[in-house]
Amino acid sequence: MSEQLITSTHELLDGAQRAFAGVPGAEALAEARRRLDEPLRVAIAGKVKAGKSTLLNALVGERLAPTDTGECTKIVTWYRDGHTYQVILYPRDGSDPVQVRFERDDGAIDVDLGGRDPVSVDRLDITWPSSNLRKITLIDTPGVDTLSEGVADKAFEFLDPKDTETPADAVLYLMKHIHAADMRLLEAFHDEAVSQPNPVNAIAVLSRADEIGGGRVDSMASARKIAARLARDGRLRRLVQVVIPVAGLLAETAETLTEREFKLLTELATMSRSELETYLLSADRFIQGTPGMPLTSLEREELLGRLGIYGIRQSLALVRSKTVHSSVELSRELVGRSGLTDLQTILTTLFVDRAAVLKCRSALLTVERLCEQNPNNPGAAGLLLQIEQIMAVAHPFNELATLAAIRTGRIKAREQDLLDLERTLGATGTAPWQRLGLKQDTPADQIRSAAYESIARWQRLAENPLSPHELSQAARIGIRSLEELAVSLG
Amino acid sequence: MKAATAYGRPDLVQRLNVTLERVRKPDVQVVAIGEFKQGKSSLVNAIVNVNICPVDDDIATAVHTIVRYGEERRAFALVKSANDPDGEGQRIAIPLDQIRAYATELGGIDPSVIVKGVEIEVPRKLLADGLILVDTPGVGGLSGAHAAAGMGAISIADALLFISDASQEYTRAEMDFLAQALELCPSAVCVMAKTDLYPRWREVMEINKGHLARLGLNLPILAVSSMLRMEAIRREDKELNAQSGFPALIQYITNDLIAGKARTNRILAQRDLFAVCDQLGGQFEAEKSALTDPAASAALVAGLERAKARAEALRGQASRWSTTLNDGVGDLTSDIDFDMRARMRAVMAEADSAIEAFDPLDSWDEFEPWLTNAVSQAVVANYRYLTERAATLSSEVARHFGQEGHELFADLEIHNAANVLGRVSIDPHIEVEDIGRGAKGLTALRGSYSGFLMVGLLGNLALAGVLGPALLPIQVGAGLILGRKTLKDEKERALMRRRSDAKNAVRRYSDEVQFQVGKDSRDTLRRVQRQLRDHYSSRAEELNRSTSEALKSAQDAVRVAEADKSKRIKDVQAELDRIKNMRTQAERLTAQPASRQPA
Repeated sequence: MSEQLITSTHELLDGAQRAFAGVPGAEALAEARRRLDEPLRVAIAGKVKAGKSTLLNALVGERLAPTDTGECTKIVTWYRDGHTYQVILYPRDGSDPVQVRFERDDGAIDVDLGGRDPVSVDRLDITWPSSNLRKITLIDTPGVDTLSEGVADKAFEFLDPKDTETPADAVLYLMKHIHAADMRLLEAFHDEAVSQPNPVNAIAVLSRADEIGGGRVDSMASARKIAARLARDGRLRRLVQVVIPVAGLLAETAETLTEREFKLLTELATMSRSELETYLLSADRFIQGTPGMPLTSLEREELLGRLGIYGIRQSLALVRSKTVHSSVELSRELVGRSGLTDLQTILTTLFVDRAAVLKCRSALLTVERLCEQNPNNPGAAGLLLQIEQIMAVAHPFNELATLAAIRTGRIKAREQDLLDLERTLGATGTAPWQRLGLKQDTPADQIRSAAYESIARWQRLAENPLSPHELSQAARIGIRSLEELAVSLG
Repeated sequence: MKAATAYGRPDLVQRLNVTLERVRKPDVQVVAIGEFKQGKSSLVNAIVNVNICPVDDDIATAVHTIVRYGEERRAFALVKSANDPDGEGQRIAIPLDQIRAYATELGGIDPSVIVKGVEIEVPRKLLADGLILVDTPGVGGLSGAHAAAGMGAISIADALLFISDASQEYTRAEMDFLAQALELCPSAVCVMAKTDLYPRWREVMEINKGHLARLGLNLPILAVSSMLRMEAIRREDKELNAQSGFPALIQYITNDLIAGKARTNRILAQRDLFAVCDQLGGQFEAEKSALTDPAASAALVAGLERAKARAEALRGQASRWSTTLNDGVGDLTSDIDFDMRARMRAVMAEADSAIEAFDPLDSWDEFEPWLTNAVSQAVVANYRYLTERAATLSSEVARHFGQEGHELFADLEIHNAANVLGRVSIDPHIEVEDIGRGAKGLTALRGSYSGFLMVGLLGNLALAGVLGPALLPIQVGAGLILGRKTLKDEKERALMRRRSDAKNAVRRYSDEVQFQVGKDSRDTLRRVQRQLRDHYSSRAEELNRSTSEALKSAQDAVRVAEADKSKRIKDVQAELDRIKNMRTQAERLTAQPASRQPA
């Protein structure tokens, strides 16, 4: 299915390149073609200090992006896999990109801008050999709603550049708690063509989830509840697919935990729980401590900076209860507890598995915009028709369009029907068991019978004369998905 | 006050009564503002040391919560019937465990009522001095209506606590909000909450100080931890309490805010006392002069008569200040109305182009908060304009009143200059106090739009219903079968209809808002007019009374038999001494150090 889609998209791009040769803006086509062969591009966006760089580090599994107490990321920075370590700087005035020097400051990449004003830099492109970057290219963006002039506009420009299609295929949107400014940015990311605001390419991440509950032990549970409630909020539903809580700092630290840090924690765990708890009341108290407390106050400050109060409580509990015996085990536990594992799973099921569709979608958008800008070009009409053909034939597009239609409330039906239909269309993942709402290791014959049952159900719904027209259509798309699924099972 | 009663001047007595009331009970409204989920409710709880404002990880405060002094813990909800959103609100008592249901987004109460606010009374010493804490719903959340409620509370505030947590530096939205709030209430302090969670809050504070300085705002930042404070109280741990940063905050509230307000009140009281003393004194001075120097009495009487005539004029309708006031209010009403119309037109034009640019079906959910926000900004700006203009008007009136007053005094002064009568010590400035810009303030202005901001904006927002079912059916699925082209025309027609429906809805909303604001602003101006008129006419009345008393005394004095004269002079001298004494006492009032200790 997706090979066929990629082939026809390539053909479309060939045609477009012929038609638009020499037309301003046609460079975008070559770029679109390159993108088809590249890994999926995921942008990490959000308000200032939402923890974007921290989460990026956690996803790469290495401290690459610099993080700081104050506002830190001021330039759009791409992190992609490659054979060598190098940083390329793209100036804003359109002059040729230059390779710049960089140092590693405590792990983080410190790029030497060579005396340039950050505002004059369009983007930095960092190539870094990393297995995690092989599947996804990550893009770090400056926070919106910042007080540094010019920086916020860059984030908007990046996500919603006038005239060209968005450079990212999908977006991870980070927020501390949903804020009106968050909505604005999310809307910016959603383009108008193909379908209206489209919740298929965005995931909301409740970052800094551990802070929501004030660092209490049950903070993550609390954050999960909030995420579940937000995911049901109509306004958010039409903008993003899911809402996932992640304790970003903890995730980053867990992925990069050192043996020394584990030893410090073990030492700290020798103090009695109740006694330590009185110092964990506030960050100041913990750092100040009391004479005779394990570790120096500098070491405690370092630990706190890496783990946060919630992380320290969790780690100490794990060490005390002897659940973990080494930094590797602690790291694995903490990654799980930070919510990073959930996020990675969802990224894989929703974005990586659909990478081909999302990338083709971006390519189609590029061509469509070019056609609209040059309506008198002799090839334009033909290309638009070709796009329509691809869209009509490519079932994944129909799935996404229908999903978007359900999400935006254009299709009316019983809530349960809509939820099941969304799942059938792959809203929670495109594996057969996910589409049918079964357990992961369900045997094939059970999956098959569940699929037939489901087909019958949607058929009844589609043919029911009382069903609204739109619902029948959506149900038919669902049947098609299930038929393909049944065929794939053999 | 006794003196005034003794001298038979009930008008002065009444004036002193009002003053007394103010000195005794300085109501200080401190409003906690900030973005949502920054810990405002926790902070209010921690200040009064009682767990009464609902705090939750997720559910945010939805209405403003007023915490004031009461003999026992009680809670009230200000509710309106959902069926009649324009009707009168009611104040109903609610059980304490129901506060959460009424005050937060959680809801769960009888859906037939709309909660407009919650009032909680707690027996706390800190509140007994008249401190009233108001917890507001945070701004920046998904619901634009909440933000409007916050703005409404600011318009009645004496001081603001701007709360932001220590997790990050101020954002642009926060700074914009703060700047807007400061225009409504200039007295504010920044509070940085949740310092317990973030080891590097000191750095964040430094960055924030830089942000404030760049904006030219000279506000102190206090760092606190509500969690530590509550824990400290639970353990009765003084050291922990000190670490929480609350002692500094409470000291600020008691010393700078409550005591500050008390001091202003004392200054005002002193001014009132001076005025009373001078008016009483003037009467006796005149008598004394007449008694001691009968030769000049005739001139004195003539002078006083002229003064009386002026005082009469001052009291009358035709006096200049009263004309200024009447004309001014007339002008103001039309200016304010025009201002509001102009602002709303700008908003509507923007709304129309937004509707033209997007499909209302897709953008309505985002459009509606934008619209309410833009409208409430227009209303707030209009309100600011109103306050400013009203203050100018008030100064104008004060100036004219003062001018006439000066002429009146000048009449008296002539005789002083001739040195026939000795000095009649009436301070010509006493009545020229400008109540518009002075510390007393135009009380009529305070909270004048809050009715609209708190209630009107919330009540009349049922816009979504207007769009109704006509907008909903959309042929998405159909497009896949019929091909997009054939459907395009049909789609366009539907889109046009949606757009015109949306525009109509916006128009209706705008009409409603203009109607409400128009009524509010006219009411406010009428109140301003009435307050100014009452203020100055009673002052004129007093002056009139004083001059006539003085005149009467002087005339009496002329007639007094030679034998009684020396005795009467002595009496009058004694009275004058007493009044002088009172004046000295009044002077001491402001010299007193702030007597209140921090709780």
